[in-house]
Amino acid sequence: MKLIIIDYGSGNLRSVENAFKKTIIDNKFKINIEVTNDLQNIRKGDFLVLPGVGSFPDCSKGLKVIDGLVETLSEEVIHKEKPFLGICVGMQLMVDYSLEKIKTSGFGWLKGYLRKIKISGSDYLGRRYKIPHMGWNNLNVSDKKHPILRNISEEEQFYFVHSYYLDKSLESEVLANTIYNHEIPAIIGKKNYFGVQFHPEKSSFAGQKFISNWIKL
Amino acid sequence: MLSTRVIPCLDVHNGRTVKGINFLNLQDAGDPVEQAKLYSEVGADEICFLDISATNEQRKAMFDVISKTAETSLVPLTVGGGVNSLDDFRNLLNSGADKVSINSSAVYNSTLINEASFKFGNQCVVLAIDAIKNFKMPSGYEVTTHGGRKKTQIDVLKWADQGVKSGAGEILLTSMTTDGTKSGYNLELTKLITDNVDVPVIASGGAGKPEHMIDAVLKSGASAVLAASIFHFGIYSIAEVKKEMSNNGINVRV
Repeated sequence: MKLIIIDYGSGNLRSVENAFKKTIIDNKFKINIEVTNDLQNIRKGDFLVLPGVGSFPDCSKGLKVIDGLVETLSEEVIHKEKPFLGICVGMQLMVDYSLEKIKTSGFGWLKGYLRKIKISGSDYLGRRYKIPHMGWNNLNVSDKKHPILRNISEEEQFYFVHSYYLDKSLESEVLANTIYNHEIPAIIGKKNYFGVQFHPEKSSFAGQKFISNWIKL
Repeated sequence: MLSTRVIPCLDVHNGRTVKGINFLNLQDAGDPVEQAKLYSEVGADEICFLDISATNEQRKAMFDVISKTAETSLVPLTVGGGVNSLDDFRNLLNSGADKVSINSSAVYNSTLINEASFKFGNQCVVLAIDAIKNFKMPSGYEVTTHGGRKKTQIDVLKWADQGVKSGAGEILLTSMTTDGTKSGYNLELTKLITDNVDVPVIASGGAGKPEHMIDAVLKSGASAVLAASIFHFGIYSIAEVKKEMSNNGINVRV
């Protein structure tokens, strides 16, 4: 089987590749990883991962520069129902639109839009809220039976770094939230496509468990 | 609830961890890749490498260290030291760094923060500020470069504000007065910055015991605490520090 990490010029591909490689080796999955932006190769993939760091408009532009990529993703994920995971901005691209810098549309696979995290007020220690929401945070799981969260307790923490969050999402499409001043969807998805606001590739053991759960779905 | 981060920092010279006082009498102190792996396994929330190599030739060894660390330590990795250009950013990020910290070059190349954050995103641009007390400055602190040796006549608060506006996603704030003393972080300086900027601030310079970390968080509002020698010399483990922080009501990742 082949797992494709989609390379559209958006940052930390090495980290994503390293983490998936480790999960695959540790679990003895029979999967090869390929980092590519070639549409033919993407079509041959059995698992598709869309990473993304930086701003929503930049990532969106990066995708559109590769002629036919967005259409290919939609064909492979929505019609052929291949397993898909969007990470950070890769997750954000799955929803309707973002208000970061300028209103930019996403794929519209899931409901909601991105808006800036609210930082009014102070936290439990009286510190001002800062932006980005940066660091390790735990999940409040809505669907405790979902296999993507197998063996992951609510105490476990994942590494987040983002300034925009998904608002007006559908309750049925949010599998877990995290709290930073307010609720922030952390895992979204349905059917064969999921997105995570955190970085499983940088989330140590918890991230490894999550990646392995996703592959096993 | 978001955890307060505890970050060990390693000084790297020619691809090896070194120890020394004020960059003098450097002694070999092991393999940074192995040390980063150990730190990440015992609860380091991020790893920070400071490359103190003097020549480009020595600096090349860093790319290998970063790429091996990125394969074995699955926590965020910040690398700084000698970063002067967008190419330096690109090379470090491509090697596997998640964030790049810039210090002197941000002062002497005023557009670098802007360009780097535009190109790679705010989340990977860490503005490292080395500050000293100077009563003549409006905020009482002055920015220094070159490990504290050069003064800039720039006010620290103005500089932090400008750095954030230019696109820095985080500030790594080191008090050069307390750095290396193990007498505690400069709480006044840290509070000055955390009160006035919107991005997370990492307190650095002077950690000698867990109380110092607790003070930096509770009294100065730091989002993260960085330390080098107390972890490196095994005076306190990361777990011990986190336990003390937790006993004082600070949420940490265990």
